[in-house]
Amino acid sequence: MSFLAPAFLAGLAAIAVPVIIHLIHRERKVVIEFPSFMFLERIPYRSVRRQKIRHLLLLLLRCVAIAMLVAAFARPFFQRRHAPITGTGAREIVVLLDRSASMGYADRWTKAKDAAKRAVSGLGATDRATLVLFAGDAMVASEPMARPDRIAAAISAAKLSAEGTRYAPALKLASQIVSASSLPRREVVLISDFQKIGWTSRNEIGFPQGTVITPVDLGGPTAADIAVSQVTTDRDSTGERDRVTVAARLVNTSSAPKTVSAVLSVGGRDAQTKSAAVPARGALQVAFTPIAVPSGATKGSVRVTPDSLTQDDVLNFTIAPDEAVPVLVVEPTSPRQNQGLFLSRALAIGDRPSFRVDQKTVAELTPRDFDGRAVVVLDEVDPPGGEVGNRLRAAVKAGMGILLVPGTNHAETWSAEWRALLPATIGQTVDRTTDAGGTLSSLDYAHPIFELFNAPRSGDFSTARFLRYRTLVPSPGATVSARFDDGSPALVERAAGSGKVLIWASSLDPYWTNLPLQPVFLPFVHQLGKHAGRYADPRPWYVAGEVVDLSRHGELTAPFTAARAGSADSASELRLQAPSGARERVTASGPNHLVTLREQGFYELGGRDTPAGSGRPIAVNVDPAESDLSHLDPQEIVVAVTSDDGLRQPGSDFNAATPQDQENRQKVWWYLLLGALFLMAVETAMSNRLSRVTS
Amino acid sequence: MTAVAPQQPTSFLDPSVLARIGNLELLAKVVVEGFINGLHKSPHLGASTDFAEHRAYMPGDDIRRIDWKLWARSDRYYLKEFEADTNTNFIAIVDVSPSMRFGANAEEGRVSKLTYACYLAACLTYFSSLQRDRVGMATIDHDIVDYVPPSAKHLRLVLHSLDRIERSARDAKVMPGKSTLQAPLRKLSETLRRRSIVVLISDFYEDPDEIINALSHVRGRGNDVIVFHLLDPREIDFSYTEASNFIDMETGTKMPVIPEYLRQQYRELVREHTASLQRRIGETRADYALFDTSKPLDQALFRYLVARERFNRVR
Repeated sequence: MSFLAPAFLAGLAAIAVPVIIHLIHRERKVVIEFPSFMFLERIPYRSVRRQKIRHLLLLLLRCVAIAMLVAAFARPFFQRRHAPITGTGAREIVVLLDRSASMGYADRWTKAKDAAKRAVSGLGATDRATLVLFAGDAMVASEPMARPDRIAAAISAAKLSAEGTRYAPALKLASQIVSASSLPRREVVLISDFQKIGWTSRNEIGFPQGTVITPVDLGGPTAADIAVSQVTTDRDSTGERDRVTVAARLVNTSSAPKTVSAVLSVGGRDAQTKSAAVPARGALQVAFTPIAVPSGATKGSVRVTPDSLTQDDVLNFTIAPDEAVPVLVVEPTSPRQNQGLFLSRALAIGDRPSFRVDQKTVAELTPRDFDGRAVVVLDEVDPPGGEVGNRLRAAVKAGMGILLVPGTNHAETWSAEWRALLPATIGQTVDRTTDAGGTLSSLDYAHPIFELFNAPRSGDFSTARFLRYRTLVPSPGATVSARFDDGSPALVERAAGSGKVLIWASSLDPYWTNLPLQPVFLPFVHQLGKHAGRYADPRPWYVAGEVVDLSRHGELTAPFTAARAGSADSASELRLQAPSGARERVTASGPNHLVTLREQGFYELGGRDTPAGSGRPIAVNVDPAESDLSHLDPQEIVVAVTSDDGLRQPGSDFNAATPQDQENRQKVWWYLLLGALFLMAVETAMSNRLSRVTS
Repeated sequence: MTAVAPQQPTSFLDPSVLARIGNLELLAKVVVEGFINGLHKSPHLGASTDFAEHRAYMPGDDIRRIDWKLWARSDRYYLKEFEADTNTNFIAIVDVSPSMRFGANAEEGRVSKLTYACYLAACLTYFSSLQRDRVGMATIDHDIVDYVPPSAKHLRLVLHSLDRIERSARDAKVMPGKSTLQAPLRKLSETLRRRSIVVLISDFYEDPDEIINALSHVRGRGNDVIVFHLLDPREIDFSYTEASNFIDMETGTKMPVIPEYLRQQYRELVREHTASLQRRIGETRADYALFDTSKPLDQALFRYLVARERFNRVR
């Protein structure tokens, strides 16, 4: 809205007059008992003045009348932000082209590209078109203001993705493009196979009025497909050598049973073939004969006889031997009796993962002791200095974890380099022997160490008593995951480069606490070791479009970060090669530790100097949901995103604007003036009546 | 001179409330230790119908407990262990600070928060006693005012004590300063030897940090804590209309107030306070329930117990 004579708006200040008149009344005192001023005292004093406005309706009438009078003199007129939609004029066309894996079914992808080219073929000189490719997310694939031939070239260059279908991001992007457009006609062409699984009615997306949405449906009510939807790898460690049983789940979406051959391939060679009769609209589990676990991470796949949708006919996975987490426990030169016993015995139990524990005294440490370690526990010893200390710090920055137990050591005498690395300042020893010991009262169950204990009957820390512990003052950026009942931190951690430094305020043997005697000690120590060593349960395969946080997958990055721990260059830069050959620089932590796996096949993770083919393979597969080719009526999407029934049909004419309309929009001052006069009349009548009642 | 009829100790037991919640159970969410069989999960294994685990047979074990079907399959002797159920301590802690006296209005048929708290405590105590739990009670203000230790025989003592609360509250003088939960809850937590169900009923006019600190003394010892937050509707919506002089019932200080000026901000602060309490108390794995004292107790209590029962079942 704009005004022809905005200077008159200064008259709005006159609204203050009736407000001041209403505020001159004062109220009598009433005393009320109220439970607490806790909240009232927090409200600024200006809100509790002694004045009170009476006869609100009267005040409102007066204020509105004045405002309308002033507005009438200012001569308002309305101007639409966008030009009205007309049947003629320049067009803004957004072509949404579905390139999800399911579009690879039969000749859908070719048809989709043809439909997209047809949609942009009839563009005029003033028309504008945008090509949006979408699967799991959406991206604009054409340049701004591109000519039709350039857009057609972009359509020809578009490739199928391995990701699943999601309509919401694409429609949202299209909505933003047409909302920002000033062209009078807006059209969206949605080319897809309309998979039911890609749309939920909860998506709140709206298009501006007048937008014409044209669905191009390439799907069909019936689509037959056989897919490998799942592969499991079950380990058996009872024999001399670990064996793994690979089992694949085959799904048939057609209405007729089908017999296919399932081929297990390991290390690039076909190992076994089985014939499977998959029932109609059903699934079948195919278990292959157990094979010996290879010595290193090895590529594997299960494929079936190719059909109309070839992308889900193969499912890749990796088989890796169980690798023990290497832990070094460093003890003082003269340790207490059984000081490291509880920790080392607890770590020695368990196989998922297993821990390989070595114990050394601080005097026996050499710089090479940290090579290939995932975790070092400094159990009541001062951090080493000299070359050993330098190597240890470099190893932490390259990805290793340190668990520091300060005990009675004097932290203030430690070197500045070590103190800068610590997640907390270590203070005095708290003696709780007089009050039967402290307890752990606050645990962060969302933290990876304690999330295991979140469920009921899964570990009770409240029975452990802590007779002594050190006070810890967390440094900036540190995380406190456990606290004692007096609020003092019990477990503090902070990232240091790619690694972690954790401080446990009490002891790891029964010297200061009876925690090592509690059942919860063993899983707690395992969680500590897994978290410090950045261990995550290895997954045999990932889904395309999934984001992998490398900082939480030490089993993937450790071979390459540990190899560089000794070098002066602690920046653990890694290389990730996609199945297409594209290379990406990533890090085990820091800015590039999140990786999106978009392509189907085997990615290869390695260090900068790792030869091609020697890295750690990461298997990526098509989203299994893509095999569900259930069809959605396109009108469901169209109805959900448009608000006006008349606009759903292509080519509908809408709301032609005329000069007479614009003239009418400027006549609003007449109505304002008449409204002000009417309100004044009402106000006069009402105030007279109120005066009579009061008198 | 008007004679005041002596109140029966069961005056706070409303039959309609008891009838409504009679078919429910108040189960401890943590494992508790008791002497006799009851409804709550025990840390020990014992006799019940819930299978817990298999254990290898050891010399001295009763051979009647050997799982012979498993022996037939594996040719090894294993015992079947079952979960044990036990009874627990139940203690109701009622805040009797002056602010809890707010809300009574005989003309409108409204009861004070304190009366409502007494009804709530009495019902839950009676309810727990029916479950064979040992029941006790404490009233707190700046400190512990009254304490009935948990016992299987203390139901009537608790009901008598609840009856005394109101009369003593009528005669009590306002002590200067705000009441706090920290000191009394710390003392109470030290007296609770076994892990118990602790029900705390208060209006919580305190900073959430201090409330959480106070609760951590009780929760940190492994007790199952249930927090009932009682508020009168006027404390929630601040529905006063006339400009008045307000007197703080806790401290006795006065403040001139025009309600309509600060109603919106006040409601916002109360909403933030209750939301903060709900979130933070939930984080300590205690239960939190906000009760509006204008609503019938039976409906509110029924709703809470059903929700708790369902939550227990889900977990």
